[in-house]
Amino acid sequence: MSEKPAYTKPLPDLRPEDAAFWEAMKEHRFILPCDDAGKPFWYPRKYAPGTLSATSWSDASGNGTVYTYSTHFIGPSKAYKGDPPHIVALVDLDEGPRMMTILVKDEDGYPSLDPEDVQIGMKVKVVFDDVTDEITLPKFTPAG
Amino acid sequence: MGSVAAIVAPGIAMTPVEDTGMAEGTPDIKEARRMLGKGICIAGVGETEQGIISDRGSFELLTEVTRTTLDDAGLQLSDVDGIVTAFSFVESTLMHSTTLADYMGMKPGYFASVAVGGATAPLMAVQAAMAIDAGLAEVVLCVRGDNTRSGISSSGMIAMAREMSHGAYEAPFGLTTIGGYGLLAQRYMYEHDIPQEALAAVVATQSEHAALKWNAMLRDVVTVEDVMADRWIATPFHAMDCSLVSDGAAAFIVTTEARAKNMKKKPVYITGIGEGFSHQYISEAESVASVRDGLGRAGRRAMEVAGITPQDLDVAEIYDSFSFTPLIALEGFGVCGPGEAGAWVMEGNAKLGGTLPMNTHGGLIRQAHLGAMHHIVEAVLQLRGEADDSSKTEFNGGNHQVPDAKLAITNGSGGILAATSALVLSSEPPSAA
Repeated sequence: MSEKPAYTKPLPDLRPEDAAFWEAMKEHRFILPCDDAGKPFWYPRKYAPGTLSATSWSDASGNGTVYTYSTHFIGPSKAYKGDPPHIVALVDLDEGPRMMTILVKDEDGYPSLDPEDVQIGMKVKVVFDDVTDEITLPKFTPAG
Repeated sequence: MGSVAAIVAPGIAMTPVEDTGMAEGTPDIKEARRMLGKGICIAGVGETEQGIISDRGSFELLTEVTRTTLDDAGLQLSDVDGIVTAFSFVESTLMHSTTLADYMGMKPGYFASVAVGGATAPLMAVQAAMAIDAGLAEVVLCVRGDNTRSGISSSGMIAMAREMSHGAYEAPFGLTTIGGYGLLAQRYMYEHDIPQEALAAVVATQSEHAALKWNAMLRDVVTVEDVMADRWIATPFHAMDCSLVSDGAAAFIVTTEARAKNMKKKPVYITGIGEGFSHQYISEAESVASVRDGLGRAGRRAMEVAGITPQDLDVAEIYDSFSFTPLIALEGFGVCGPGEAGAWVMEGNAKLGGTLPMNTHGGLIRQAHLGAMHHIVEAVLQLRGEADDSSKTEFNGGNHQVPDAKLAITNGSGGILAATSALVLSSEPPSAA
């Protein structure tokens, strides 16, 4: 059993409708919510936006392309103090939806990607960062 | 670059407006014109000092500016029968407007608290206009202020920082509001090949204006190079590209032309109103073009209701949460074509003396941050010909008046360019109802 330092950065607000997503994350499975026509959307909701049909879930590749990013030199809370800059990105998933993530190196602890290694249009793939026993965050790293 | 001044953006669906008088307009446009045709106007404005005001509370600041604004209009508190307020980051109440009414000893016949982030101020004016049109009130005080800078608790600060992020799917990635705007700004710059200097030019331009405004927090003039050399907060924004956090208050009184006749100052008419919504969370913004179109609808519609085109404007007080923010708004409103606002600002068009002076008070980046309240107050002062602060020698004020200004556009945006409201203000009443 490895003893992790307490995770002090923001954790997701948890709502009942999100349970399926965070459960899958915990199992390192990347899934997307879909409407009744099977079209995936983001962000997850109990009912699909626009049609209000009941949401179903489907497996997704976890592959995508960087639509845009912003290198953050200051984080939203004190927990980021002393960290190197982190890179928040919007990634267009191969399945269509766009989601927010953070770009990391595929190394132990998933440290931030170096800002000079990021560009709009680069291919990325999901990695699963178990930040607490309950929460795994989908982060993205350069593909290939 | 050739001259890109005052080009109506191609590809934007604008109802054509005739040069000679008012175009026919769809029923909703006609209805907006009917309402504003009652001579809905702003008859008084006021603003406090801005900055770090640690010796005054939120309701105290609101009351102070109410006194100033009543004086400006030549009114007593008892003349006011409606009140529209916003919200406070410090005094938490679910009934902001009536809490303030009680604090000031009013029994208003109409009250509303508006809370749509940075879009709140123009929406307050719209709310007041609708209340007057509906016969709910005749003289409506619209007032917003807070001691955000001095009074906020650390939990309040965290709540404010998280406010614009989706709590489950954005906040955990360390998004800040600055970075949220940064995401869209970097994509905009990538698509249109916009240099960093274009953002810096907005800051430099507004710093020249703030140097003349009596209550601006930052009075020093900065250059493009100064901004470029400043520390990074979140790309593409340096610290100077970001808006201020400030204490202070501002207010305006909305009434009818008939009532304003007996007041002290020349009324400034609200001749156009419009709103536009694109997305709530920045992850959901479909494209740069869709955001430009969504927020642009507010300004385009306000101008359509007013029966004017961007070429008719004399002054623009454009919401400037970040240096990038006015660029996409200028394009969305049709002042510049898509991707052309950066060059337009770099050429000096937004300066006092330029084609369309913008944020003549310094804006959120240089004066103070109170949503779009000061943008409205400044537009009114411009249209009254009262934007010369040279007489305010104790504040080292200067002349930021646009000569003979008759028509202004102003807007505010809530969230990360999510929800926008715009007003066209005029020194003359609407020509036809």
